[in-house]
Amino acid sequence: MYIFEINNCKKQFNGNIILNDVSLKVKESEVVSIIGSSGSGKTTLLRCATLLETMDSGNLKYLGETVATTQNNKIKYADKKTIKKIKNYYGLVFQNFNLFPHWTVYKNIIDPVLSIQKRDKNIVDGEVDLLLKKIGLYDKKNNYPYELSGGQKQRVAIARALAMKPKILFFDEPTSALDPELTVEVLKIIKDLAKIKMTMVIVTHEMNFAKDVSDRIIFVDKGYIVEEGIAKDIIDNPREERTKQFLSKLSK
Amino acid sequence: MNLVSVSNSVINILPFRYLLFDEAIKISDIAVRVLAGTKNTLFIFFTTLILSLPLGLVIAFLRMSKIKIVSFITKSIISILRGTPLMLQLIVWFYMPYYVFGIKLSVNWRIISIIIGFSINYAAYFAEIYRAGITNIPIGQTEAATILGYSKSQSFFKIILPQMIKRVIPPVTNEIITLIKDTSLAFVLTYTEVFTLAKQVAASKTTIIPLFVAGVFYYIFNGIVAITMDKIEKSFKYFD
Repeated sequence: MYIFEINNCKKQFNGNIILNDVSLKVKESEVVSIIGSSGSGKTTLLRCATLLETMDSGNLKYLGETVATTQNNKIKYADKKTIKKIKNYYGLVFQNFNLFPHWTVYKNIIDPVLSIQKRDKNIVDGEVDLLLKKIGLYDKKNNYPYELSGGQKQRVAIARALAMKPKILFFDEPTSALDPELTVEVLKIIKDLAKIKMTMVIVTHEMNFAKDVSDRIIFVDKGYIVEEGIAKDIIDNPREERTKQFLSKLSK
Repeated sequence: MNLVSVSNSVINILPFRYLLFDEAIKISDIAVRVLAGTKNTLFIFFTTLILSLPLGLVIAFLRMSKIKIVSFITKSIISILRGTPLMLQLIVWFYMPYYVFGIKLSVNWRIISIIIGFSINYAAYFAEIYRAGITNIPIGQTEAATILGYSKSQSFFKIILPQMIKRVIPPVTNEIITLIKDTSLAFVLTYTEVFTLAKQVAASKTTIIPLFVAGVFYYIFNGIVAITMDKIEKSFKYFD
């Protein structure tokens, strides 16, 4: 069974085709990186997967449970109740963090768990402390987001997503808004997650990181998956011309 | 001439000698009569605020509705409310039941129509301020809330509203200060608030002092509100 499965996803904005029949399956504990130039459709794919956008057509499943199906070219999304349940299966880490500025680090992490999953506060409190220690920000527990650096904000955003105990975590260019020196601390957290077998899909421009952390890499261009395979193969020995061009542009 | 006689003659030619004694009693008498309207002025002010601040939010929602006809109608109504004099609106509200529906005006209708007129007019202004405040919040806030699984109402009340309030305090303060002065418009319906009384006393006593008393009253009232709003604004400084 796949944790996440999207099939024949199509999406256009005002007549511009952004995604053209894209399919992606992710197994448990697998780390998949999506690479490609800007405008290739990788972020849109993530947004369709996380229901921030609705697909024009395609099928979407989490843990075998159907979120959207397409029959006779008509897409049908599951009812509210199912979607509410399925939202517990995944988390998304944004490029620009999107922490809630009026809440402390602690509240940012704990409030979703308490008000959405309605779990016992005493237990969750312990989990949050543990998470804060893991990301090395326990001493910032009662600080507000504006008092943190970009890298710290992104670490809190990751902790906020993890507190919900998702089955799969999506990252949308998690380090693109960060200075190079701050990038390292965020990438380290993601690597640590890979070590403990967290299922992840990462849209990134950090090729070395992608090669390091992922089991599989997908190269997206102009709304198509051009090439996919084992991380090392794609980065070191790409077969497709477009992949080669993209990678050589980056290494320049 | 010695010093004492000099000072005596100065006092005799100065008008304030007269003012100091007889007029002082007169002024305090006038002040008492004008400030008898304080209660009514405060009533218009606070009732309008209590009703228009939340009503503005409802109107803002209708204005931002995805149903085009709803947002269009709301936009048109806001435009009329903001595009015509409040004084005219007050008169229309007051006379409408009689002229349009032929209903005899009850004793209480004067104050009720004043409150309706003020609240709806101010709600229209607040609605536009709120709308600007909401649209100014980065879309990522709502998206993060959606991804985490907050319901629409949770997302609004927990995440959007507190950030919106912080943003709208300065423009809302402006409106509230205008409202203090606008309460005087109730004079067109001869409601006995401070300005109505000041005008009446000024006319009957042929003196300008009642108007000065009213002026000082509004100025102090404004000062208190400005200080209060400043404190509220500061209380939102804890986040950025």
